[in-house]
Amino acid sequence: MDAVLVPAAVKAGSPMPAAARAAAAADLPPPLDGEALLAAVRRLAEGPLAAIAEAVDRQGRYPEGVLRELGRLGALQCHHADRGIPGASADYGLAIRAMAEVSRVCGATGFLTWCHMVCGLYMEQSRNPALGGDVLRCHGRALTMGGTGMSNPMKSFAGIEQFLLRAVPDGDGYRVSGTLPWVSNLGDDHYFGVVAPVVAADGTPQTRDGAPHEIMFLVHCDAAGVERRDCPSFSAMEGTNTWAVRLTDYRVGPQQLLADPARPFIGRIRGAFVLLQAGMALGITQGAIDSMWAVEPQLGHVNRFLDDRPDALQAELDALTARVLALARDPFETDPEFFIEVLDARAHGSELALRAAQSALLHAGARGYLMSSPVQRRVRESHFVAIVTPALKHLRKEIARLSTPAMPA
Amino acid sequence: MGAQREGSSVSTAPLPAASDAAFRQFICRACGYVYDEAKGDPDGGLPPGTRFDDIPDDWACPLCGVTKADFEPYVAPTVKRAAAPAATWISAGRGRHDPGVVIVGGGRAGWQVAQALRERDATLPITLVAACSADLYDKPTLSVAIARGLEPGRIVRERAADAGRRLNVRLVPEAIAVRIDTVARTLRTTRGTLRWRKLVLAHGAAPRLPAALPPQLVWRVNDLAAYQRLRAALAPRPQRVAIVGAGLVGCELANDLALGGHAVTLLDVQPRPLAALLPEAASQRLLAAWAALPIAFVGGVQVAGVAALADGTRRIALADGRAFDAEQVVAATGLAAPDRLARSAGLEFDRGCGGIVVEPATLRTAHPDIYALGDCIAVGGQASRFIEPIGRQARAIAAAICGDGDPACAYAPQPLLLRIKTSSLPITVQGEIGGDGDWRVVADSPRELRLERFDAAGHRIATLVATAAAATLPRAS
Repeated sequence: MDAVLVPAAVKAGSPMPAAARAAAAADLPPPLDGEALLAAVRRLAEGPLAAIAEAVDRQGRYPEGVLRELGRLGALQCHHADRGIPGASADYGLAIRAMAEVSRVCGATGFLTWCHMVCGLYMEQSRNPALGGDVLRCHGRALTMGGTGMSNPMKSFAGIEQFLLRAVPDGDGYRVSGTLPWVSNLGDDHYFGVVAPVVAADGTPQTRDGAPHEIMFLVHCDAAGVERRDCPSFSAMEGTNTWAVRLTDYRVGPQQLLADPARPFIGRIRGAFVLLQAGMALGITQGAIDSMWAVEPQLGHVNRFLDDRPDALQAELDALTARVLALARDPFETDPEFFIEVLDARAHGSELALRAAQSALLHAGARGYLMSSPVQRRVRESHFVAIVTPALKHLRKEIARLSTPAMPA
Repeated sequence: MGAQREGSSVSTAPLPAASDAAFRQFICRACGYVYDEAKGDPDGGLPPGTRFDDIPDDWACPLCGVTKADFEPYVAPTVKRAAAPAATWISAGRGRHDPGVVIVGGGRAGWQVAQALRERDATLPITLVAACSADLYDKPTLSVAIARGLEPGRIVRERAADAGRRLNVRLVPEAIAVRIDTVARTLRTTRGTLRWRKLVLAHGAAPRLPAALPPQLVWRVNDLAAYQRLRAALAPRPQRVAIVGAGLVGCELANDLALGGHAVTLLDVQPRPLAALLPEAASQRLLAAWAALPIAFVGGVQVAGVAALADGTRRIALADGRAFDAEQVVAATGLAAPDRLARSAGLEFDRGCGGIVVEPATLRTAHPDIYALGDCIAVGGQASRFIEPIGRQARAIAAAICGDGDPACAYAPQPLLLRIKTSSLPITVQGEIGGDGDWRVVADSPRELRLERFDAAGHRIATLVATAAAATLPRAS
């Protein structure tokens, strides 16, 4: 099946030169849009992805072929302003719905979809010419692959933990060192976005315009000073190519910079970053509801004694979906009330996925408890949605912080 | 484990002697793994007893793979279990039990509804969600605490946990209500999601802060916690305090802080204090009473901005170019109900006065199972941010929710009795309150000023009495 899904040029193994990649992007069929795209993503999810979902979960198989095909269809660049469709503009709602179709069948692949999409968000919004144009187009079609190491930075900005990387100024750029414990969707020629605080050579934290100074940049896994290390087994996420990454004097030049300083940039993209994740929650919830309906003919007579029934969950999911899609119309809105709405929609997604996955297990009974059953896999996937940054508790803490008006010290 | 523990008591294990400096622990900042020098990391090549300082730099966290440099010293904190809010914490369980009534707001309005409901129904599940501690206190006290010699720490009347037990109300304090989900019939909060059968909004109003007043430089005193923080900032010594807004709250606070020895500058866009509530003669009488206090009223001015000087002093710039310096700035520039919850549930909201629109007799909002009362509502295009109506509103809601539809409990707005607690000249207004109109002086003596207000048809619609206080001088300190 991979033979069908992986474009020949990619399957050849070694990374293509940039020019060849750009040519390969130009050779791809035009990307799909709207309902046609969603239908194609659904076919991909229900066919090839469903066939390998258990291997992704149990054997840690990386669903590279599916991700490449999602890129070929145009599903990974719906949120880019330039997505190869004349007259079309960025469509975050479509990106979220496509991610939901993937997550409905396999949460790990849904997470990889988010990793890649959010990396595209960084690159596009950076407005760095070295990360736009053909480079971004190749990323959008998954001819190159990207991830995100923003868990530690996001928690650092929220005062939950400390930065793990340090950037020392170096000529027209920086040298970055430190270790990130978990970065997903990595491979030999992949890259990811991350933030490091700027420090002087003696380690003193630096400021800019009176505020702490951080930079955001891309790390290329094949660059000097980048070392990937195995990390422990991850519940439900073994197939996500997640690694510990150690940087030793990794050179960040103008070509790799996403934002300097990083804070205003994070402030601008935070809504889109969090909102895109809703696709995972919506999809996992829908998958759970699907499996509840699947056992209804045989078990409905006894399942009616359970709390969260599929019809009630579906009504709640539909309302949440409508809310998310409304917010997705302009995810760059800067009003703090808008961001609170985004955080709460994301939190609702986590809570709903937890409830739906748990109820689906209760609806399925022993057959859902088999290790090979997607029903119990989904319970673990829903746990992931609730703990991946920003975790449920992190979301609530941030809502509380943003809701508390400033007062004199 | 047990065998090991027994073994160590006879001390044959090749562990370092107990006389060695105590073993320390170090925590991984990335994943929380604790490296215990006593245990070492045998799988990572570190035998038990390996000191952290002796660990090679290329050693990796056995859990997440970060390096030694990402560890920091760790002392396991001791947690008092009794201190956890177990007694008041509830889960948002989704069983088949009746979720009952959820009240949003831990101020007077919220507690009054809880009490009125409990008086009518001994078993109804009631949950009260509050952004604050939900301790009970009388907000008007904040205007006269100094005059009454009440320390800020002694304003609480009853602890929320005690009131919760007394009324059998489940309490969710320090929880910010984020959204009403009318499909799932839940209230989303920062401490979990609660189901409701009936929902009562009693979350009050929030200070409206003009753009010229930066929130981090300007106090707003609309709850006990903020008041206590302001008093703490004022505690060390008498200070210069600028109060922006000479309405009810601004005037009462100016009067009380001046009694406390602080030099108050009271600013307003109107040329006289309380211009929206009182006729000119009463305002002048109040200014005369303030002559004995360190209050400077500056009327007819617009604040253009507030800045912090290098020494922490605030500089208030006026639109006319003048500037005042003060150690503290307080904004008393009016209130508006936050519209977040109303918006989330599609409830009608009156932007003009800043309140959730309710049906007057039952206090029902546009949603049949959601009620609202107190400072957050608008009745007939008017917000009513006074204490008196709250008790009657609470009883009307309780009657509607408990289903007996007692017509005697229907709420009807009544002419207000307004007491202005400026202790150097307490003023009472009954009837239709307003600064303009046909006010006539009925009595004018050093002891008392009395006025009456008449409508176009010559009917008396309001009476005002301002009585000189027995002692208007600052209390001896």
